[in-house]
Amino acid sequence: MVKRGELSAFLRLAAAEIPPARGLVPLLTLLTVWQLLAPGPSAYFPAPFEWWRATALLWDSGQLLPAFAATVTTFVEGLALAVAIGAGLGVTIGTSRPVERALGPLLEFMRAIPPPVTVPIATLLLGYDVTMKLTVVALSAIWPILLNTSSAAARVEPLLFDVARTFRLSTADWIRQIVVPSVVPFILLGIRVAIPLAIVVTLLVEMLTSLPGIGALMIQSQRNFQSAQVYALLVMVGLFGFVVNDLFAIIEAIVLRRWPARGVFRSS
Amino acid sequence: MAVRQFSGRLSWRPNIAGLVTMAICGLVWEMAIQVGVFDYQYLPAPSAIIRGAGELAASGELITATLHTLESVFLGWAIAVAAGVSFGLLLGSSPLLRRYSLATIEVLRPMPAIAFVPVALLLFGFSIQTELMVIVLPSLWPVLINTMGGLMGVHARLGEVGRTFRLSRAAILYKVFLPAATPAIMVGVRISLTLAVVLAVLAEMVGNPEGLGYAVVSQQQALRPDLMFVYVMVIGLLGLALNALLVGVVSVSFPAASAEFKGPRW
Repeated sequence: MVKRGELSAFLRLAAAEIPPARGLVPLLTLLTVWQLLAPGPSAYFPAPFEWWRATALLWDSGQLLPAFAATVTTFVEGLALAVAIGAGLGVTIGTSRPVERALGPLLEFMRAIPPPVTVPIATLLLGYDVTMKLTVVALSAIWPILLNTSSAAARVEPLLFDVARTFRLSTADWIRQIVVPSVVPFILLGIRVAIPLAIVVTLLVEMLTSLPGIGALMIQSQRNFQSAQVYALLVMVGLFGFVVNDLFAIIEAIVLRRWPARGVFRSS
Repeated sequence: MAVRQFSGRLSWRPNIAGLVTMAICGLVWEMAIQVGVFDYQYLPAPSAIIRGAGELAASGELITATLHTLESVFLGWAIAVAAGVSFGLLLGSSPLLRRYSLATIEVLRPMPAIAFVPVALLLFGFSIQTELMVIVLPSLWPVLINTMGGLMGVHARLGEVGRTFRLSRAAILYKVFLPAATPAIMVGVRISLTLAVVLAVLAEMVGNPEGLGYAVVSQQQALRPDLMFVYVMVIGLLGLALNALLVGVVSVSFPAASAEFKGPRW
């Protein structure tokens, strides 16, 4: 149950993340001019009202909701996997100097491979299915989280470890009281970088393999030259990216109040 | 006590443990395939990948594909930097413009790059313009935001100094604010280069059937995993090489900017 005070604080946070609406003037002007200059359907620049009609048609045909659900599920599950594995591995690597040195070059090398090209590799190795989709999304989203976590874990003030020894903290307490507070802000930083990657790779898998989802729907409507539908889907994907970004900024602000990014780092 | 950095980027002694780990991984991979431990049908051994690289290099396919990708990366990046710096300068120096466009930027910026592929295909078909549209739109933002932020971060007193010397508005922008914002701008320029490489490959995978991105997909469909892995490695190396080149060029031509420039890559 959310208390009243917390709810209003949450709403304030949400509002603070959105810049003033007057900044939308250029975008709205562009859309209005577009609508006035090209009021009807067109193979290249269909009018914005046509996009709306295409959305309604897609909705009525019953394709939109399942596709959207498939995409969002893959994105969320893939990201969750990446966070769990990336943060776990990151702490392990970051807190142990030998492990860090041994795995460093290998990880740097693997990270240099752009996430999109993992899609064809995974299709060959794992075949066309949902497991492959998840693996690919998780694999591309993992690097920013892993690297941020491990470098944060490696830079924990050494004095804190001495403090933990002095107080004879158990491993569980040590993780809860020292590792988590110093690592969480950087896990969040990693997730923020990973979010757009995960969205792009989710859509890419769907485009390349025609597994059900918004990506498959986009490429299919482009191949059928349904231009209004292409633009409509572009707007929807854009809105999805915007909402996810904003939602995460709010979550980040809430979590950072609990574990602020300060105090544990040496000023280097 | 030295600051600990991931993979010891600050220490110059060779990381023996790291290199040994890589070698062992390569060996285990090779052995596992030779012995038949992995039952993945399409996982090539490292030796097969090296043979494939020789094959592709000899036939000239590798060079053609790499040159095509390089061309679109550089063209797209140049356009993105030019547009990003111009808009960034405008927005950074005019609070009014900023007030009436920030929300638009915030709405457009998180648009997933790949969503532009179908629209680009609709407008330009299979052509390099399709690639350029997919590269330019997303890689514009880091340059724009960093240029704007860089200008806004310059201390107001520097502008006052310019006015004291009776410099014109344009001269203040060009002689005072631009040099002070250069380190920030260069960070944006580098992020945008890294992005441009990824986006070019992406655009070639689902858009324009040419270059390294298409080569990866077509070798996958031709069930030639050895050749596919060659292209994957070339793409990775290309990104690293371009980044290293840019860092080198910047540290020579803008020494002041390079300290901030080498910072974290993410």
